[in-house]
Parts: sequence; structure tokens; C-alpha cells
Amino acid sequence: MSQRKERSRRTDLDGVTHWLIHQAAQRAPESLSSRLEEEWLADLESRSAALSRLRFAVGCCWATMVIVNDCPRSKVPAASAAVSTGGVLTLTDRGFGYFSLRSATLFLIAGLHFALFYGMIATLSHTRRSTTPPDLQNIVVKPVPAVTSPSQGTVLKDWIINVPKPDTETPSLPPIQSDVRAEYNETPVVRDLPVSPPETPIHIVSHVAGRPGAGFPETGDFYPSPAIRAGEEGLSTVSVCVDVRGRLTSAPTTEKSSGSARLDDAALRLARAASGHYRAATDDGQPVNSCYPFGVRFQLKK
Amino acid sequence: MVKKDTSVRMSLQTLRVLEAFLENPSEQLAGAQVHQRTRIASGTLYPILLRLESAGWFVSRWESIDPSSAGRPRRRLYRLTSTGLRRASEVFASFNRGVLV
Repeated sequence: MSQRKERSRRTDLDGVTHWLIHQAAQRAPESLSSRLEEEWLADLESRSAALSRLRFAVGCCWATMVIVNDCPRSKVPAASAAVSTGGVLTLTDRGFGYFSLRSATLFLIAGLHFALFYGMIATLSHTRRSTTPPDLQNIVVKPVPAVTSPSQGTVLKDWIINVPKPDTETPSLPPIQSDVRAEYNETPVVRDLPVSPPETPIHIVSHVAGRPGAGFPETGDFYPSPAIRAGEEGLSTVSVCVDVRGRLTSAPTTEKSSGSARLDDAALRLARAASGHYRAATDDGQPVNSCYPFGVRFQLKK
Repeated sequence: MVKKDTSVRMSLQTLRVLEAFLENPSEQLAGAQVHQRTRIASGTLYPILLRLESAGWFVSRWESIDPSSAGRPRRRLYRLTSTGLRRASEVFASFNRGVLV
């Protein structure tokens, strides 16, 4: 049974095997072509397994490449007729100049590498330029010396989610949606630079930090049920980077943990889901890319 | 036939091919038989055989059989030349000297 299967497989692959050997021999130097084909076909007969024959044929293809590379410096007697006349053929019937197939392939590969490298550098430089948050850059005010007001700095904003505390005797969860109350203290940071020399022109830069904006998702949906059952509460501070259209430019990160991994994860989920609903920070009324933290407070209603 | 005794790059596979021929220096072997003894794949074996032949270490000829009566095609047989035998013996002798520590 297995012999019959092997025989049928061999019949299927024999065509491929002979074709490969023929192709390999054709690619060999012309003086060796017929000799190698006959030699390989004869040696092929010593193999019975179909896969072994196929492997042999593939090996012949490889052998041709090696022989072609060896050609310029080798002298091999060609077919029997040539040998009988006593001649030793120098295998230089293929051109191996500076622009041989090998050189062309080398140049092509080198060119592709160069193009890829150039493309990568160009993309990286463009990405770096576009993702640098402008609010991290220095605000240059000329010619007034840099003086900052006491109000400068990051304002932490709290999202307070009040959820009724679950009854320990009843395992069912309290309705969260209806009792969710989100509070947000909008305290824009305004940097007003005092006028020191009255004769110099004054440029007042007002910076308003970004914050959650309209259409922010329902925060109660993100209070994890296990955390409600366990009575976990806390304030998780999440840092987000948003563009001028209020979309996240990078993944939000936990800046300060609430002490509960579940609540921190929930705050990150909320921050991710809110992409597109942040209000961009503004410099002189112009929206700019910015990174800022905000707090998400998970609190059960007493 | 003009024979050129040129140096041959000695790889492990080349040594194994030479070893197969040195078992019986007068024996003529086809590529398939060398493969059976050395288990070197065809992609490596035939370039080595051609390289050794071009260096004058081997000579080759077609097997003198009638393919129709034998039921198989004729093979290309390789044999060590006197130069090849001497050079191969030198190579193996150099290995047998060992390493001075």
C-alpha cells in the first residue's frame, strides 16, 4: 500500500524533478550543460523516494549556481567527446564583467537597503516633528525676561464618580448609571507676565490647559463591578496626550495609582474611550497639542 | 590531457569526498555512490567533484555500459589521479601530525 502510494507520488513529482534538473543543467556553462544533465539524470536513478529525488534536483540547481561562480577560475573537461579529443575547456563562455548578474544583484540589494533606510529616517523625522507636544516647548517672550506667575503649573482635575455603596447583605449590584455624577473643576491656567520695563513691548501669553470636553463618555460604565462589590474607592491620575482635535496621540498612562489595579485599569479604559472628546489646550487662544494629567475619582455613594 | 595541479580549498566536505576515494584509490565512483558514502547533498557534492577534477586531482569518464541492456543510463565515473592521490595523502598526513601544544 505504502509502495503504491510512493510510486504514485514519484510519478507526480518526476516531471518536476526532471524539469528542475534540465533547467539546472541549462543554466550551467554551455560546455558542461549536456554532461551535467546526463550525469545528474543517471545519478537520480539511484534514488527511489520521490522526496529524495526532488531534493536531489533542487540540490542540482544549487550546484549549478556554485559551478557558475567557480567557472572563471576553473578548467573542467567537458563532455566525453571533448575529452576524447584531448582538450581541456576553459569555462569562460559566460561573461563575468563588472556588471555580471551577481554584481547587478548586489547593487540592487544595496540600493533597496539604501531606499528603505532613507524612507525610515524620513518617516521617523516626520513623525517626531508632528508628535512633539508644543506645550513642552519653551515659550519665548521677547524681550521680557522669563517671569512666571504663581499660578503656573499643572492643575489636577478630578472626575468624581459617586456610586451607591452596595448592600453587603444583598449580592445584587446597585444601579450605577442613574447615580453617576461627574464633577469637573474647570480652572484654566493663565500665565500673565507682568510688565517690568514700561518702554518695552509686552506680549502676554495665556495658556489654557486641556481638559475633558463635551461628549465625554459615561463615567459610571467604567466602575468595575468587582471593585464596587469590594467597596474599593480611590483617585487614579491618568496622563493623556491629545492633539488639537481632542484625540489621543499616544496611549494614556497612569501617573499616580489609586492603590487598586482595577480602578487604575478602569481609569485608563475611560481615558482611551474618551479619545476625540478632550478639549485641547490653547496658547493665546490657539489650540495646541498637549499632554496633561487628570484625576478620575472612584467613589461609592454613602 | 593537460593536468594542472592547482591548490584546492579544503573544506570539511572536500575532505570527506577525498576520504571516500582514498578507501580504495583505484576505485571509480559515480556521484550517487559518493553521496551514499559521504551523505553530502548534491548541491555541494557536484561542485566539489568538478573543482577537484579541474585541479587535476580527479579524472572522469562515462561508464562503458549499454543503457538499453543495463536498464539504466550510464553514469559519470570519477577516479583519483596520481597527483590527486599524492596531494590527498599529503593533506591527510598533515592532519595526522597532530597539534603541538
